[in-house]
Amino acid sequence: MKKLVIDPVTRVEGHGKVTIHLDEDNKVKDSFFHIVEFRGFERFIQGHPYWEAPALVQRLCGICPVSHHLAAAKAIDQIVGLEPKDLSLPAQKIRKLLHFGQVFQSHALHFFYLASPDLLFGVDADPSKRNVAEVAIKHLDLAKKGILMRKFGQEIIKAIAGKRIHGISAIPGGVHKKVSLKDRDYFLNGKEIPSVDAMIHWSHEIIDFIKNYHDANHKWLNSFADYPSGHLGLVNKENGFLELYDGHLRALDANGKVTLNDVPNDDYIQYFNEGVEKWSYLKFPYLKELGKEKGWNRVGPLARINICSGIETPLAEEERIIFKLATNNKINNKTMYSHWARLIEMLYCAEMMKILLNDVDILSNDLLRKGTRRNEGIGIIEAPRGTLIHHYEVDDKDRITRCNLIVSTTHNNEPMNQAVKWVANNVISGETKITEGMLNQVEVAIRAYDPCLSCATHALGQMPLEVSLYNHAGELIHEKRR
Amino acid sequence: MKKEGKHKTIVLGIGNTGRQDDGLGWLFLDFLETQNMDMDLEYRYQLQIEDAELISNYETVIFVDATKEDTEQGFYFKTCKPSEIYSFSTHALKPETILYLANTLYHHNPKASILGIQGYQWELEIGMSKKAKLNMNQAKDYFKKNILTNSILVN
Repeated sequence: MKKLVIDPVTRVEGHGKVTIHLDEDNKVKDSFFHIVEFRGFERFIQGHPYWEAPALVQRLCGICPVSHHLAAAKAIDQIVGLEPKDLSLPAQKIRKLLHFGQVFQSHALHFFYLASPDLLFGVDADPSKRNVAEVAIKHLDLAKKGILMRKFGQEIIKAIAGKRIHGISAIPGGVHKKVSLKDRDYFLNGKEIPSVDAMIHWSHEIIDFIKNYHDANHKWLNSFADYPSGHLGLVNKENGFLELYDGHLRALDANGKVTLNDVPNDDYIQYFNEGVEKWSYLKFPYLKELGKEKGWNRVGPLARINICSGIETPLAEEERIIFKLATNNKINNKTMYSHWARLIEMLYCAEMMKILLNDVDILSNDLLRKGTRRNEGIGIIEAPRGTLIHHYEVDDKDRITRCNLIVSTTHNNEPMNQAVKWVANNVISGETKITEGMLNQVEVAIRAYDPCLSCATHALGQMPLEVSLYNHAGELIHEKRR
Repeated sequence: MKKEGKHKTIVLGIGNTGRQDDGLGWLFLDFLETQNMDMDLEYRYQLQIEDAELISNYETVIFVDATKEDTEQGFYFKTCKPSEIYSFSTHALKPETILYLANTLYHHNPKASILGIQGYQWELEIGMSKKAKLNMNQAKDYFKKNILTNSILVN
């Protein structure tokens, strides 16, 4: 059996390895997307005082430290006896503003830097010209707007969490500081940086771009990596609308049937199992009731737009309705629609940031609440890439004794493997020559999920990489880390 | 960010102190904070596209990061030139690419250097290895003697 290795997968966070196993006739026998694991961190944090968790978990990821920070903070709130609704309104709103800033900048980064080169130049383009530098040359205005949108989100984070990258905003029971009037005005008046109104306008503009792109490329976008899957995420507890900070867990299957019916966060463990495969370091979460083969779900923008009943901000809701019409209001299982969904969320975040920046509560000093100490806490949020679960147990000396993290990329492990299989079977199988375009389609399928591969280590000149080789019997024959 | 004129010097420390020697970049910035210098300091997990806009406001840029390269003195300090480096494989950008984007997007070419400090251990653990600490001290000494006192950055 021949084995084709694509390594590394370019422009995803961290490194992974794709192996496509060919038989003697060049037909694809099997394919795998191997990625690294978070388990080391779960051990690392054991023994630390629980109040350190929101700060320590930021070290997990250089791309979404705020998401880990807030998920851990929600869990630690429970340990000090507080549910999300128990926090003061100013604290809730400041945390949400921080979260919307994080999702906004992350989505901007993904679209302008990672996805747009594929869309603007095509999957058959020379890889040396399929990158952000080329976007900067050929689409200067788009590149500059992308940078300023990314910067706006980063500045929101800086205003709330502090200048230093390991800044602190959320603390047990609330937040440590209010938003200053000066910082609030900085985002509203457009004098020093483009205002939040500009962010809304530009987000709308880029949605128009993606809609036109779909019109012009519908055949490819409708068929590429289109495969059935479940879809999982949080929804608003009251009305089932899109929810990123605190909600109930909802899942729908590939046909829209409810498979997880608005379950409270604390009950997640009753509904989920994590499967293992000997060829991957990453686990495979699935719904217990459906089993490992049928119970896996996509998470992230496409899943969230699929499962929600609506969006509370008017412009994003208009765009959601248009998005849904593309599949006649049915569940959308088309991987390439992830980009469109991501941009709708970016507009939603911009609208929500405007609402919160104009809310006087964020200027209030009413920031902390106290409750009755517990020994367990669960925090679930929607990170940019999908549902993120932090679960901690502590002893009576306040030390963390157990930590379980299910991160977005873990949920998307099976979906990404399915995407790779789709490309392998539909693009590569039967071909005698593997072209650059074919290889890039594997990467395009993975990039749609914007995977974050637990890689904050990035010393100059080298990135961590786990290489595992398996023979035709599934036996590990070689493993190397560099 | 002030629009009229350029700021003098910015130092970008790249790393993660939660992963042993990967924290060298941040720890070096902690040291610079104690030196009472007229430099802006920014901590980064990774360099990102918006850093191109940031450095376009400065005359001089120094990138500080851990390196796995073998170095004679435990560190290197070298000039960094803009380059279309396409081999990046993550969301993170290389210093050369940041300079290239600053030039392409903002038509600005700051004088740039990289301080790479050799590290050895990269696991999830707080604290540097002993050898990395020695290298850090070497780099501090070099910086104090040749950069902070002689102001060679702006010559």
